[in-house]
This record gives sequence, C-alpha cells and structure tokens, in this order.
Amino acid sequence: MKWYEAISKIDRRIIYLFLTIFVILPFFVPFKLRQNIMPQTQQLFDFVESIPPHDKVVMISFDYTPQTMPECHPMAIALLKHCFARNIPVLGLSFDIQAPGLAVEALTTVVEELNHKASTHDDSLFYGKDYVYLGWKSGFTAAVLDMGESIAGVFPRDYFGHPVDSLPLMQKTRNYKDVAIAIVLSASAYPEYWVLYPQSRYGVKIGAGLTAVMAPKYYPFLQTGQFSGMMSGMKGAAEYEHLIVEKGYAEKLGRAETGMNSQSIVHLLIIIIIILGNIGFFFTRKDQKQS
Amino acid sequence: MKRRIPLAICFTIGILMLAQFMIPHPISRAFGSTVNKWYIVLAAFALVLAIGNLIRHHGTKIRRKKTDWPYSIVTLSGMVAMSIIGFAGGIDSKSLYQTIYLNVLAPLGSTMFALLAYYMASAAYRSFRARSLEATLLLAAAFIVMIGFMPFGQYISPHLPAFAEWIMKVPNMASQRGIMFGVAFGSIATALKIILGIERSWLGGKK
Repeated sequence: MKWYEAISKIDRRIIYLFLTIFVILPFFVPFKLRQNIMPQTQQLFDFVESIPPHDKVVMISFDYTPQTMPECHPMAIALLKHCFARNIPVLGLSFDIQAPGLAVEALTTVVEELNHKASTHDDSLFYGKDYVYLGWKSGFTAAVLDMGESIAGVFPRDYFGHPVDSLPLMQKTRNYKDVAIAIVLSASAYPEYWVLYPQSRYGVKIGAGLTAVMAPKYYPFLQTGQFSGMMSGMKGAAEYEHLIVEKGYAEKLGRAETGMNSQSIVHLLIIIIIILGNIGFFFTRKDQKQS
Repeated sequence: MKRRIPLAICFTIGILMLAQFMIPHPISRAFGSTVNKWYIVLAAFALVLAIGNLIRHHGTKIRRKKTDWPYSIVTLSGMVAMSIIGFAGGIDSKSLYQTIYLNVLAPLGSTMFALLAYYMASAAYRSFRARSLEATLLLAAAFIVMIGFMPFGQYISPHLPAFAEWIMKVPNMASQRGIMFGVAFGSIATALKIILGIERSWLGGKK
C-alpha cells in the first residue's frame, strides 16, 4: 500500500484511540488558553451587569437535558454566580421535563458554595428571598404567554411544594414587568418561542445559552436585537466564566474551561485527520487519472 | 355532527385567540389567560396518555416475548421505581430521587451523547473530501469556523476569530433567515388552513 493510500484509510479504531487520549489529556495535564470573548457573550454579560441589585429578577429557564449538560450546565453555574454576586434575585423554571433535576443541582451547588464563603447573615442566600425555583410546567406556549398576566397563576406552587404567593420574592414578582431578562438555557427551539410569544406580546428581554450546534440558527435574533445576548456552546460558557472571574465575581474558572481545552484539541485532531484524508484522496485520484 | 362541531370549535377559538393576541384589553387578556390555563391542563393529560402508551407498548412486548423484550422490563421497572421513590421520598436536592437522577440518568445521557464525537470524527475523516467546488467551499468554511472559534485560532492569526464570526454573521445568517421566513410563511398558511377548516387531517378518520 502506498503512503497516500495508507493515510486515506486509517483504521477507525486508531481515530477512536487518539480521540479518547485527546479528550482525557487536558483533565490530567491542565493548561490555560486565552479565551477570545465573542461579542454575543459580552453582550449578555453586560446586560446582566446593567441590572440594578435587589430590583427585578433574572428569570432562568433551565431547558437542557443530561445529554447536553456538559455544554449548558456550566452556563447555568456561571450565570447564577454572576447574578448572586451582584445581588440580583433569580427565578428558575423549566419546560423540558428532564431539566428540573439539573436546575436543582445547579442552584444547590452555587448556593452552597456561596453560603459557605458568606461571613454574615446578609451575605447568605435564602430560598424564597434571593432565589426561587418554580419547577416544570406542561403546555409551554400557553404557560409562557400566561406568565405575562400572572406567574403565580401558571405556577401556584414551586418545585418543592411551597405556595408561590407565600414566598417573599414572588410577592414582588408578579409577571414579566418584574423580570429584567429571561435567559433560556436550551438545546432545542425554546428560545425561538420565547421571542415569538412572550417577547412579542409583553416585550420581555430574552437572552440565550445554547449548544454549539444550535447557535448558528439564532444569529438573526441577535442582529435584530430580539436576543439581548447569547452564549454559544461550551465556548460561550467558558467565555462567561472568564468574564465573571475577570470582574472578581468568582475566584476560579469552572468546568467549561477544562472542557474547552479538550474540545479544542479534539477539533484540532479532526482538522488534521480531514486534511490527511484529503491529501490521500488527491494523490489517489491523481494516480487513477494517470493510470 | 362529529366533524362539524370540532371544526366550529377550532374556527371560533382560532379566530378569538388570534384577535385577543392583538387586543390588549382586560377582557381580551382575561379570555386569553383562561384559554391558556385550559391548554396547560390539557397538555398535562398528554403525559398521562404517554405513560399509558409506554405501559401498553412494553407490556405487549414482554407478554409476547418480542425481540429485546428484557429491555422493556428495565424500562417499566425504571419508571415504576422512580415514581415510587419520587412520591414517597420527595424530589428535593437531598432526596434519593435526585441522587439517582444525577448519578444514573445524567451520566447515561451524557455518555450516549458523547458517543457522537466518535462517530462524527470517523465520519468526517471518511466523507469530508473536496470532491467538487461546493464540497471544497464547505470544507474551507468549516475549517475557518472551527479554527476561528477555538482558542488556538487567535494564536494562528488574530484575524481568524473575526473572519469566523463574519461567516456566522453574514452568509450563515442570510441563509438562516431565508429558512426562517420559509418556515414562518408555511406555518401561517397551515394555521389558516386548519382554522378555516380546509386542512382536516387533525380530525382523524378517512374522509
């Protein structure tokens, strides 16, 4: 077999082996790459940064599933840290039935971490006062529309069974007028419907955190201003982590940074094997033409 | 009558909901809110139907010992066990339900999705060949976007991230917008056909 035939017919098991090594390597040999912050991530960060403390809530719609957890979960963690560090109350909810477990995990992780560091009662975060998780609701389009009239009407009880009206945060958060921005973390079409229904009807600001594969679809929403910012995939999450660390809202970078290192090396591997495959293809074709 | 009544309900509610979306009057808003609440309740019933279908489908598979029937036992046992654990022990952050969710379902889901990386790498290597001008353009765009969005990109050339962003913001956005307009007009046409009773396949039956 000629050399160019060999490089165009690499056994897939060899590719799998290299892929595995390249994914695992950054977890054992950590390195730091400078993140080039994309404008849409900066835009979302700046929007959250402009919200006055102890005023309107940031509504986070946790609509991702375990399958897309590596991309969307670090976004949720970074966003929660940013909001809580700036004393912005958070209202969580979900329309994807697999999401509540992950939403509870994100909220618990961040709240426990920040409360562990808190030195006074005022520094601590309390459920019902600083954050609320409403849980899952069926009938997405009707629910997001009806929350413009009354959030408690759609979610009479929160995820843990408390009557929503009894929670101090919900007494001052009646509908979208009390929401600074709704940020949708999703791997599907939910952000589009948030624009179509509640934004067109009630003018609520929308931000998004999407898997990398979904992001290209949403660029038109950024250009029209219908999205007030967007995080795209693990890169978006890593950028947001960098932004909150730079601003002093978090001490260290999160999971997306390590994941991004793995992803970068794997992308490089894929580019190299595609180039090798094409070199082999050109030489083989040339050979066939000559013969 | 079996067809006329549903068609009349569809037409009336369709027109009223369309009108109420445009009219921000308290009566219109109250009507919209009530209908939305009905819809939420109806959508919840879909879940009950789904559970019923799941039990029937897998129950039949187990009874008739069809191919891979033991997996159906796993599915049904999983559903029953998680329901009992959730109802009995609660669903808060310290519950057994949440522990199982985070330590069984989440890793399983992530693993299934992670396998895609292997298939994609292998498929990209075998099929991503510059066989024609179109394929070469696609290959070039993919390379620029991949390298430009990687942190490595800026080390290769400081202009690469901006160029990758330009590809996303201009050619990509133009094509995405075209698709969106097509889908939107198609949706409007279909919705109007359903409201006006031209499209009746949702009623079921042969006629």
